[in-house]
Amino acid sequence: MELSQEARDVLETAKRHNRVRPEDERDIEEVIALLPDDRSMLYKNVDSNPIGDFYRYSIHIRVQHLLIFSTFLLLAFTGLPIHYNTAFWAQPFNAMLGGLDVTRVIHRTLAVTMIFAMVYHFFTIGFGSLAKLSARTFELRRTILPTWKDIRDFKEDALFSSGKRNVRPEMDKFMYKQKIHYFAAGFGNTVMVVSGSIFLFPAFWASILPPSMASNFLEMMRLGHPHEALLALLVIAFWHWYNVHLAPGRFPMQWTYLTGKITREHQIEEHFLEYLRCIVSMPEERRYLRKLIESKKIWGTQPHD
Amino acid sequence: MEMLIRWCVAGILSLLLGYAAPALAFEDDEACLMCHKYPKMGRITEEGQQKSYYVMPHVFSKTVHRNVPCRDCHGYIKELPHKPVTEGVTCDTECHSIQNPSTGKPFSHKPIYDAFKKSVHGREKIAEGNDADKPYCVNCHTNPLYNAKEEKPPKHIVDRCVVCHEDAKFAEKWYNHTSRRIREVKRSPQEIVEMCSSCHADKEMLGRHQAAAKEEGRELGRKFMIAAESYNESFHGKLSKYGSDNAANCLDCHANTVNYYLSVHELLPSRDPRSPVSAENRVQTCKQCHVRADENYAKLDPHPSSKKEDNVFKYYAEITYTVVGNVVLAMLVGLAAFETWGRLRDGVSWRFRDGSSWWRRTRRDSNRIP
Repeated sequence: MELSQEARDVLETAKRHNRVRPEDERDIEEVIALLPDDRSMLYKNVDSNPIGDFYRYSIHIRVQHLLIFSTFLLLAFTGLPIHYNTAFWAQPFNAMLGGLDVTRVIHRTLAVTMIFAMVYHFFTIGFGSLAKLSARTFELRRTILPTWKDIRDFKEDALFSSGKRNVRPEMDKFMYKQKIHYFAAGFGNTVMVVSGSIFLFPAFWASILPPSMASNFLEMMRLGHPHEALLALLVIAFWHWYNVHLAPGRFPMQWTYLTGKITREHQIEEHFLEYLRCIVSMPEERRYLRKLIESKKIWGTQPHD
Repeated sequence: MEMLIRWCVAGILSLLLGYAAPALAFEDDEACLMCHKYPKMGRITEEGQQKSYYVMPHVFSKTVHRNVPCRDCHGYIKELPHKPVTEGVTCDTECHSIQNPSTGKPFSHKPIYDAFKKSVHGREKIAEGNDADKPYCVNCHTNPLYNAKEEKPPKHIVDRCVVCHEDAKFAEKWYNHTSRRIREVKRSPQEIVEMCSSCHADKEMLGRHQAAAKEEGRELGRKFMIAAESYNESFHGKLSKYGSDNAANCLDCHANTVNYYLSVHELLPSRDPRSPVSAENRVQTCKQCHVRADENYAKLDPHPSSKKEDNVFKYYAEITYTVVGNVVLAMLVGLAAFETWGRLRDGVSWRFRDGSSWWRRTRRDSNRIP
């Protein structure tokens, strides 16, 4: 396969970062040349280990995800009966927990746990990036930060979904959907923390805001807390769970959030640029590819059926 | 047979009840109970309203007014049987029989009555027009029971008193009088909100007063029309509705806590500088609970609403939140549906048995070379 300019860049950078020896470099180039031009032939024919083939998320990220999603759901389950406290279902629920006042204490305790997970996350990505910077292996495009390429990927992926492209775009470790989701969650969490803090510390907020806008700000935050919570809950229920559980091919679930690994098929399909890094850093993956391409005869240009 | 059993049960019940009810627990020196002890005592007014003149002796004997002879308040009764009552009781009447032990003068509610009359709620007993909407003493105060939960004062306390105060009845009276005041007899926040709302949530009544104020060129509070509903919408309102005693209720802000029991009778409009919610006193009032409150804090709206005429910012903020929320959700669900279409065409499907990533090594069969 002839690599695109972008993919070539990623490959060269990966070779540099991995300090590959000349014989490995030859091996890598041979394997790349053997790859089928139609990338879909590759991801449709590889074998995948359901619990994951390639390392993707560190234990810290997985723990943060567990903390965030468990506190998120419990915050929603305690927050909704606080907001809709007169609803028929809210009263027995609050009573079961020991009354509205107890529900509020639980809600706040969970909120502190979630804030802890957020801080933990900032430490992880902060120190992780510093470590990569000092090892000179930091790559901006490999991070979750949005780039112009994401807009192009989004367009290309939409064209693929509507049948105008045969193959999905070459996306990096984090595709556009994950970036949207990450920043939506980051924004949502920030809104929830700030707006939640106005319930606990109204005097603090009033003292730092100009008097002309303090009242409106606090009221907006009071409105925003349940609105944002409901939106987040619905986005999680309808979109995140769709993406990781319900989408065809992902059903009934992926193991990534527990094992931190992604399947080969998924990696090639949605994160091809990251897969190139795997080809560079994993000789055993190159051996596997050679065997696969040979046995299925899918090298180079293939006629489409 | 069944009839017989019913009559027997009814007979036993009436015996038991008759036994439980003490004959006459307060001294009826004026013989008012001669007539007023009959439950059917009453009449139907010209307007068709049923009026009961029944005095339940066993209940009245436990109320705070039980030692006040009837005619101390009903002073217009001169003979028996008496003439039709026209003016009724006013609460500033001086008692002839009860002395204020601190001054030796006849007891009277006059001081608090006068304070009430100067308040924004002040009115005469017989009021006309819009003044008749205002609360009179009895709208808020019934003739409350002494220590409703206690049948009798605790024996171990009375026993101790009678060592010196030979008259056990005196000890009981004294116990009732003081213990009721030592115990907190304030209404609960929920009761206070309900009490105030019984008028301040009555749109028709409020409209009447607003129209009158407009006509007379009188100023009304900015939240006059929505005081009750906006309170319920506020954080304080939500908390107290759900039973919290810590959240501010109407009187916590509109009455002065320094002299609470007097102050609740002399409520003033917020534009009166003496009101605890006036611009001058507001910070201090907030500080009662929010110890860190400052000038800025006192400017926060304690009666928030999303009504366009009240807070146009919040009105549009709420609309924006709803629109943005729904649009985002619709877009994401649309994207998911669009993607599903593409993925299904690409050969992946929802198969659980043969295609799941859970236990099979691949999820596709189309375009897969065997």
